[in-house]
Amino acid sequence: MLRDSYLRLTRVAVLLLALVITTFLTLPSRVWAHKVNVFAWVEGDMIFVEGYFPGGKKAQNSLVEVYNGAGAKLLEGRTNQKGEFSFEIPAREDLRIVLTAGMGHKNDFTIPAADLGGSKTSAQAPVVETSETVAPLPSTTVDMSKLEVMIDEALDRKLQPVIKLIRSTRKEGPGLTEIIGGIGYIFGLFGLLMYFKSRNRNR
Amino acid sequence: MHISEGVLSPPVLVAGAALTAVGVAMGLKKMDNEKIPQVAVLTAAFFVASLIRVPVGPSAVHLVLNGLLGLVLGWAAFPAILVGLALQALLFQFGGLTTLGVNTFIMAMPAILCYYLFGRSITSKNTGMATAMAFSCGFLAILLSSLLLAISLIFTGESFVQAAKVLVLAHLPVMLLEGLIVALCLAFLTKVKPELLGVTHAAG
Repeated sequence: MLRDSYLRLTRVAVLLLALVITTFLTLPSRVWAHKVNVFAWVEGDMIFVEGYFPGGKKAQNSLVEVYNGAGAKLLEGRTNQKGEFSFEIPAREDLRIVLTAGMGHKNDFTIPAADLGGSKTSAQAPVVETSETVAPLPSTTVDMSKLEVMIDEALDRKLQPVIKLIRSTRKEGPGLTEIIGGIGYIFGLFGLLMYFKSRNRNR
Repeated sequence: MHISEGVLSPPVLVAGAALTAVGVAMGLKKMDNEKIPQVAVLTAAFFVASLIRVPVGPSAVHLVLNGLLGLVLGWAAFPAILVGLALQALLFQFGGLTTLGVNTFIMAMPAILCYYLFGRSITSKNTGMATAMAFSCGFLAILLSSLLLAISLIFTGESFVQAAKVLVLAHLPVMLLEGLIVALCLAFLTKVKPELLGVTHAAG
């Protein structure tokens, strides 16, 4: 009798699980995630934006808006199937990139002006000076602006794996430290509450 | 279930915070000393539950457990969920501090409703009846939370019907899973610690 009801329960459980799986296979992920992450990096003249949920799921077709330091909107677009969106650097100042994934999910990422590389004008000024001082050796003089572009390209190439690493580590959810810490906080908090309540009663 | 910062407009945030404040006050008033350890344990369970992502298909389910909290804690579910969400916001960046009030209300209000709807019938002598009630409790809590979430998103430009449809459909697996969990917890509690359910009723 008891075994019978357990059997029936197991059968129901299996059925429910099957239903759960099929529902999950057919629905977009953005709805039940806790939060959306956004990460942006600079490559040459382009800024790449990537949106993803904890666990690495991409934030597809999400609205990306780019604001300057003053809060004016510079441009907007939507992420592609890979959760990525790229655009040419609109201005060499602090850029705030806001990603809205819908259903209450939103996050932003700020690229400071310093990360966008020297602006063309300020970088070229000292270049002229140096080429003048190095003038006695004409054979070794290289077009400095060309050299800068070459260095930038080489750095982008070399930094590719590092950026990839940063992107992948940022995808990890909360660690054990935070979890244990949080549970500690909870028990501490309620312990404190109990302490104060019992003190009131004893008085 | 966690609304991020900067999504909702100030009036919605303030309304959510005010409603939550009332609920928390009620909860603290009804929480006596014997109940505090229970609240602490269930807060911890709630805090961890949304971290446990059960990978299903290409995505993952995460539990909320608000039905269970409501059933066992009654009004004390409000402070419990508030503390759990505050720590999730601080430590994991789930949701946010400004949306704490709204998020707490979205998850705690259905818990209280379930407490009043099912609190009495789960102690029924009829095991089948009690199990069915417990399942409905876990199921309904998530369903109501999804609807509340959809309501709070109306003001952000999402159409209610559209948002509600997507949210309810998306949470369907969670509803079923939570129903099962509440039913299993209840079966376990009635066997091991029946006074836990009884005591709550006397207190609530």
